[in-house]
Amino acid sequence: MSKNKNKRKRETVDVVANVIILFFAILNLFPLYWLFTSSLKNSSDVIKMPPDWFPKTISFDNYVDVFQNQPALQWTFNSIIVSLVSTVAVIVFSSMAAYAFSKLHFKGKNVIYIIFISSLMIPKEVMIVPLFRIIQDLGMVNSLNGMIWPNVATAFGVFLLKGFFDSIPDSLREAAKMDGAGEFYTFYKIIMPIVKPGIGALFILNFVQVWNDYLWQLVVGQSEESKTLMVGIASLMQDLNPNFAYKMAGATVAAIPMLVIFICFQKYFTKGLAIGAEKG
Amino acid sequence: MKFNKHALKENMTGYLFIAPQLILFLVFLVYPIIEGIRLSLYRINYTNEVFVGFENYQKLFQNPVFVKSTLNTVVFVVFIVALTVAFAMFVSAAVFDKNAKYVSFIRGSYYIPVMVSMVVMSMVWSFLLNPANGLIPYIAKQMEMSSVNFLGNPKTVLPVIIFVTFATNVGQAIILYIASMIGVPKELFEAAEVDGASRTTIIFKILIPLVKPTTIYIIIMNIIAVLKIFVVIQLLTGGGPNNASTTLMYFLYNNAFKFNQLGIASAVGVIMFLITLVLSVPQLRAMFKKD
Repeated sequence: MSKNKNKRKRETVDVVANVIILFFAILNLFPLYWLFTSSLKNSSDVIKMPPDWFPKTISFDNYVDVFQNQPALQWTFNSIIVSLVSTVAVIVFSSMAAYAFSKLHFKGKNVIYIIFISSLMIPKEVMIVPLFRIIQDLGMVNSLNGMIWPNVATAFGVFLLKGFFDSIPDSLREAAKMDGAGEFYTFYKIIMPIVKPGIGALFILNFVQVWNDYLWQLVVGQSEESKTLMVGIASLMQDLNPNFAYKMAGATVAAIPMLVIFICFQKYFTKGLAIGAEKG
Repeated sequence: MKFNKHALKENMTGYLFIAPQLILFLVFLVYPIIEGIRLSLYRINYTNEVFVGFENYQKLFQNPVFVKSTLNTVVFVVFIVALTVAFAMFVSAAVFDKNAKYVSFIRGSYYIPVMVSMVVMSMVWSFLLNPANGLIPYIAKQMEMSSVNFLGNPKTVLPVIIFVTFATNVGQAIILYIASMIGVPKELFEAAEVDGASRTTIIFKILIPLVKPTTIYIIIMNIIAVLKIFVVIQLLTGGGPNNASTTLMYFLYNNAFKFNQLGIASAVGVIMFLITLVLSVPQLRAMFKKD
């Protein structure tokens, strides 16, 4: 009897908690709803008070304006190149390094790995002044290269993938070598295919991170043509143009690719992020 | 002799495999740190550099805007991290053992703002909070609040930024907690349930202590993330009103790229670097203990 009562009480607490959580989960999506619906309104409807909770007429004019009045297509292209090249380079370089740290034996391996990993939590933004001077010296201001390469210096990929390589038995590599396979062949043809899930998680996490990065791209891409989408749409916000619908359309353009990626690859986020935390 | 040759070859292979990553690491991470420390000891006028010792640091601590930036950053770190950990813990503990579709819906709705980025979310919030035609001031007016310019009032600007940053980023912590809580063996809860423990007791006595490594990770990651808070400041307030919401990163950026005070900016960078280094020690120690 008393146990039953206890159980019912327990569930009440749980139900109340979940109702609150559900309420906030939906409320938390409201700004995005407002972003999206505002971008479909015209310049006077968007600031009308009381507001239209649903847009009365749906127009895509703001989107057309963003792409016609601003080099938004160029910005999008820049963002894709910067995110894609950074990510592919991160995967190639960090999988090679992670393989070496996990499976090869060489002098100073542990010391180098510790130094590498110690940098894991240091954001590149704190070194933005010397970093910008390097980019200046390399002649990479206003170039996508200047945005790409500092991103590739991160140790995160090495750290994430080393965990995957560690879980592969050494005997596999030894067997391949016994058959006369070279080190690079073993790495590329035998070991890499096994760590595909790790590569997938790293690809998506890194792509999203670079796509959403702002400060470094803002500093490097100063000319109109070298801006990325994030920097470009943020500049719309600081623009004197009073049409908020137009600004919201720009923000939506930057948000949609990430929403699509999230919906398609939700599993990778759950897994990839958790791996980072677990290993830590 | 033959064995030595083999070892040499193995060494070379190892170095070749790490070479590309190592070179980038040295050029874009190690060198900037050293160069940043050097620059912080110089007064820099375009190409002209004069060694001034710790003058930049002395100037910083006498600069009221820097002091304000530091205080604000500390306030942001304390409140945002506390809110994030508490709320993420609450959500995850209530949700993690429910059916998979519900879990994935909750996780998704809190994580989507993280996905669409701080830039986009700051733009929406800036519109929502706009005193002339934003939705929130409109609702505040309906409720007959006296002041509706929440970002222009030094008393409300910090709480608003704390809330916006928290609401946008809490999804990250929720994903981590849920993954960690799902990994806790069910038998532990069942045993406690048999003993008549309530859900609340189980959560506080068993679940939360067991996910402590995740909590530490979330706290450290979030402290570092909030320490470099920038986007929301630039897009929502520009550090205003009257420097009321300026932060270390915003101060650094302005000194470096607006006021051309590279020595001062480097000194701020060095201070932030040292803080992150100290903060990452417990995490690194835990990582190497496992290896």
